[in-house]
Amino acid sequence: MTLDLGRAEGNAAAGKDHLRDAPSQARILVVEDDDNIAALLGRELRGLGHTVDLVRYAEDALFAARGNDYALMIVDLGLPDGDGLDLVRELRRRTVEAPILMLTARRRVEDRVIGLSSGADDYLVKPFAVPEVRARVTALLRRPSRLRGHRIAVANMVVDSDALEAVVDGVSLALPRKQFQLLELLARRKNHMTPKRMIEEALYGFDDDVTANSIEAQISKLRRALKAAGAGVSLETRRGIGYRLLGANQAAN
Amino acid sequence: MRQPAPSVADLNLLDPDGTFRTRLEADRRTIAHLSDTGNLGELKRIVHGLAGAAGTFGYGEIGGIAIEIDDAFVAGEAIARTDIARLLTALELALGTPEKSA
Repeated sequence: MTLDLGRAEGNAAAGKDHLRDAPSQARILVVEDDDNIAALLGRELRGLGHTVDLVRYAEDALFAARGNDYALMIVDLGLPDGDGLDLVRELRRRTVEAPILMLTARRRVEDRVIGLSSGADDYLVKPFAVPEVRARVTALLRRPSRLRGHRIAVANMVVDSDALEAVVDGVSLALPRKQFQLLELLARRKNHMTPKRMIEEALYGFDDDVTANSIEAQISKLRRALKAAGAGVSLETRRGIGYRLLGANQAAN
Repeated sequence: MRQPAPSVADLNLLDPDGTFRTRLEADRRTIAHLSDTGNLGELKRIVHGLAGAAGTFGYGEIGGIAIEIDDAFVAGEAIARTDIARLLTALELALGTPEKSA
């Protein structure tokens, strides 16, 4: 028997027909302390046209993530300076929203569940088959950014539509349901104007009693809550058009 | 059950410069030494690495045995000398070095 490596000319060229929808030239961070595995992943992903940064330590990964906007991260669970689970949690706390593929030799179902609930988007058990890594990477990169998870990061704030909470600098922000819905909508459309009518349709049902200033009142309360929590965002009003959520830096520009 | 050996072409694709094979040779020597000295901490680290990497590089039988031993380490169970001997035999077979008596 031979192994199915999708053999063609070179490893990574193999199987490209299956990957034609994959975004090319994504920047990927690989956090792996096994030199052979890291080199294999680097070779394969570069062969697919991606830019790959390889690091061995969790600390280096945090540093790299601070300075680069990665389209994907591959994180091994057993790192020399810490647990990959803690690294994933810290990346999410720092509002890194790139999809994360967790790589581990831990084979128990509960380990996989813990990995996914820590903020990873996918989980691959070692030993792995190279074509499976390629396929998973491609699938994760193919997801529209708004679907790459249910967390939307804006500046130091993360809006988590699964947990139904907004978190600012790691601290949960207690918002009433309507304000959370409003924030989630604006965060999904961050940097874009959201018309008032769209907000009304998202927040209120046909039978709800919506007064002329209902949206303004919700916006005002939300703005105060964000400011009180120290969120580095700005909620901009354009009279007659709608509202826009911006990171503080963007608002200043 | 013995895993079918990967072809040379498969191994060359996965390990074109032979660095993993070189590592296997080093690991084999170290495991043989550690099994004599009883240094379980270092043995655990090497076996864990093999459990994750050997199968990925096409050495399924080595990986399978390493996974069994790694699982025993994780469960806190005693490691049987016969299992270490099986791992060494699998390494020797894969690397083409003369098989020692276990």
